[in-house]
Amino acid sequence: MAATARVARGPALTPEGSAPAPPATGPVRRRGPWRTGLLLASPAIAVLALLFVAPLFMLVYNSFRTQAGAPTLDNYTRFLGDSFYRGVLWHTLWIGALTTLGCLVVGYPFAVYLRGRSPRARNYLSLVLLSPLLISMVTRAYGWLVLLGPKGPVADAFHAVGLDAPKMLYNDTAVVVGMVHVMLAYMVLPLMGSLDRIDPALTPAAKGLGAGGWTCFWRITVPLSLPGMLAGSLIVFSLTVSSFVTPAILGGPTVKLMPYFVYTEATSNLNWPYAAAIGFVLIVVTTVLTAGYARLLRGRGGKEVFA
Amino acid sequence: MRAATTGSGAATTGSGAAGKAADTPVGTPAATGVGGRAGRLLGAAFAALVGLFLMAPVLVTIASSLTTTSYVTFPPKGLTLHWYAELLNRPEFLDSFLISIGVAAGAAVVSTALGLAAGLAIHRYPFPGKSVLDRLFSSAFAVPTIVLGIGLLQWYAQLGMASSPLTLLLAHLVLTVPYTVRLVLAGLAGLDRSAELAAAGLGATAPRVFWHVTLPAVRGPMVAGAFFALITSFDDLTIALFVVTTDMQTLPVRIFNYLQYNYDPTVTAVGTVMVFFAAVVVVVIERIVGVAHLFGADPER
Repeated sequence: MAATARVARGPALTPEGSAPAPPATGPVRRRGPWRTGLLLASPAIAVLALLFVAPLFMLVYNSFRTQAGAPTLDNYTRFLGDSFYRGVLWHTLWIGALTTLGCLVVGYPFAVYLRGRSPRARNYLSLVLLSPLLISMVTRAYGWLVLLGPKGPVADAFHAVGLDAPKMLYNDTAVVVGMVHVMLAYMVLPLMGSLDRIDPALTPAAKGLGAGGWTCFWRITVPLSLPGMLAGSLIVFSLTVSSFVTPAILGGPTVKLMPYFVYTEATSNLNWPYAAAIGFVLIVVTTVLTAGYARLLRGRGGKEVFA
Repeated sequence: MRAATTGSGAATTGSGAAGKAADTPVGTPAATGVGGRAGRLLGAAFAALVGLFLMAPVLVTIASSLTTTSYVTFPPKGLTLHWYAELLNRPEFLDSFLISIGVAAGAAVVSTALGLAAGLAIHRYPFPGKSVLDRLFSSAFAVPTIVLGIGLLQWYAQLGMASSPLTLLLAHLVLTVPYTVRLVLAGLAGLDRSAELAAAGLGATAPRVFWHVTLPAVRGPMVAGAFFALITSFDDLTIALFVVTTDMQTLPVRIFNYLQYNYDPTVTAVGTVMVFFAAVVVVVIERIVGVAHLFGADPER
C-alpha cells in the first residue's frame, strides 16, 4: 500500500531489442532467460490482468453507460451537477485532510522519540504502532464505539474532571479519531526513514556555531524530514478518502462519505454505473490532489531537500 | 476530541525534546533524540500515551467480552467466559469462521507461490513487460479496495461467475500478491549471487543450487508473506462485502451484518478470538522478518 515510497522499485527494463542480459544463474538459464522470466511471471501477470486491470477497466467502462448499457455521460453530470454529491466529495476530502493533519501532529513527535531509542525499544514500539493494521477492522472500529460512547471510558474521564463529555460518536470526530488510529503507522514509518537519514553530526555542528536548540530543530530536523512528511501525508490522505468500513461504523448516519455511496449505490440501489462513476471520481480527484500536493511541496523551498 | 488533545501535547513534547537534545555532548545517543531528564520523561510519557491510544480499542474489546451483563460495557461488570460458551451455540459464526479460514489458507498458499515465481522473474530475468508488471504491483497497493470491490463485482457479473469461496480467494490475491512479491524481492536482494555461482562452480546442478542456496534466502520472507496473506484475507471486509452473498458470509461480513441489529458481548468474544489469531500471526512475522518490512520501512533495519 505504501505505493509512493515504492514506485521505483527494481532495475530498469532491459531494452527488448538489444542483446540479452548476462545469463542469469537461475535453474534453467540455457533455455533463455527471456522465456523463463515470462513463464515464472505469467501466473502473477494473469492475476493482475484478470483481477485488477480488467475489473478497473470494466468499472471505467460501465461508468460511461446507462444501466441498460447505452453510452452516456449522465452518471458524471448527475454527480457533479448535484450540490448534495459535491458536498459529499468536499466532506470526504475534509476528513482526509483532518486525518492527515492528525497523523502528522501525533506521528511527528512519536517518530522523533523513536529515533533516540535503542533498536530493541524501537522494535517493540513499531509493533505497537503497526498492531491496528493487523487487527480486524471490524473489531477495531467497534472497540472505538465502546470507547467513545456516551457511557464509555473517555466520557467517564471527562466526568471525572467535572466536565460535560462532548458528543464523540457518529460525527466527524469519531471518524477522524478512528482513521488516525489506523493510519498513524503509514505516517510514522516514512518519517522514521527520513529522520534516520539526517547526518547526526549536523545538530552538534550547528550548536557549535552558536545555534540554539529551537533553531536546530526548525532549521535542520524539520526541513530534512520533509520528504518523509510528504510521503506519509500522501499515503494517509489517499487511503483515508477511500476507506469504507471505519467511517461507516463510526460515522453512523450523519457522516456519509464517497465510499459509502459507492457501496450503497452498488448493493442497495443496484445502480452499478453510478457506483462506478462515484468510484472513478474518487480515484481521479485523489490522484490529482496528491500529485498537485507533491508538486507544490517540491517546488517551494524543497529544492535543496529533494535534490 | 481525543486526537486533538493528544495532538497538542505532542507538539510541545516534540519541540521540548529537540531543544534538550542540543544541550547534550556530541556523540551521545541523546544528540540524535530526546535528551535531558525532563525531556526524556516527557518523551516517554508521550510515547506511552500514543501506545495507549493504539492499543485501546483492542484492550476494550477483550475486556468487555468478559462482562456478565447482557450488553457491552467497559469496564466489564464481573468476569465470565459465558459469551465464549455462547459462541458454541451459534453455528453461523462457526460456519463463517470455517469459510474465512479456508479462503485465507488458500490465498496464503497461492499468493506465496505466485510471489516466489514473480519475485524470481523480476529479480533476475529480463522479459518483455517487466517494468509494466513492476508498476502494476506498485499501483495495486494504492488502488482503493472499495473501488476494486465494485470493479470485481461488475467484472464477475460480466463473466457470469457466481459468488463462491473461489471467487473470493481470487479477489484476495490482488491484495496479497503485491506483498508476497515485495517480500521475496527483499529476500533475493539480500542474497549474495556469488554463493550461487560458487555452488554451481563446485558442480551443483541447477535444481540443487536453487534448493540449497536460493530457497533458504527467501524461505523466511515467504513464510512471513504467507502469514501476512492469511491475516489480510481473513480480516478483509471491504472486498468480501461485494463478492459474497447472504449464503456465504465470511466472519468479518457476518460480524458486520450482525452488528447492524445487535450489539451484545458475543461479538466482542468473536472479536477477541480474531485478535488472538492475529497476535499469533504477528509474532510469527515479527520473528522472521520484522513486521515493519511489510509496510515499506527501510529494509536495512
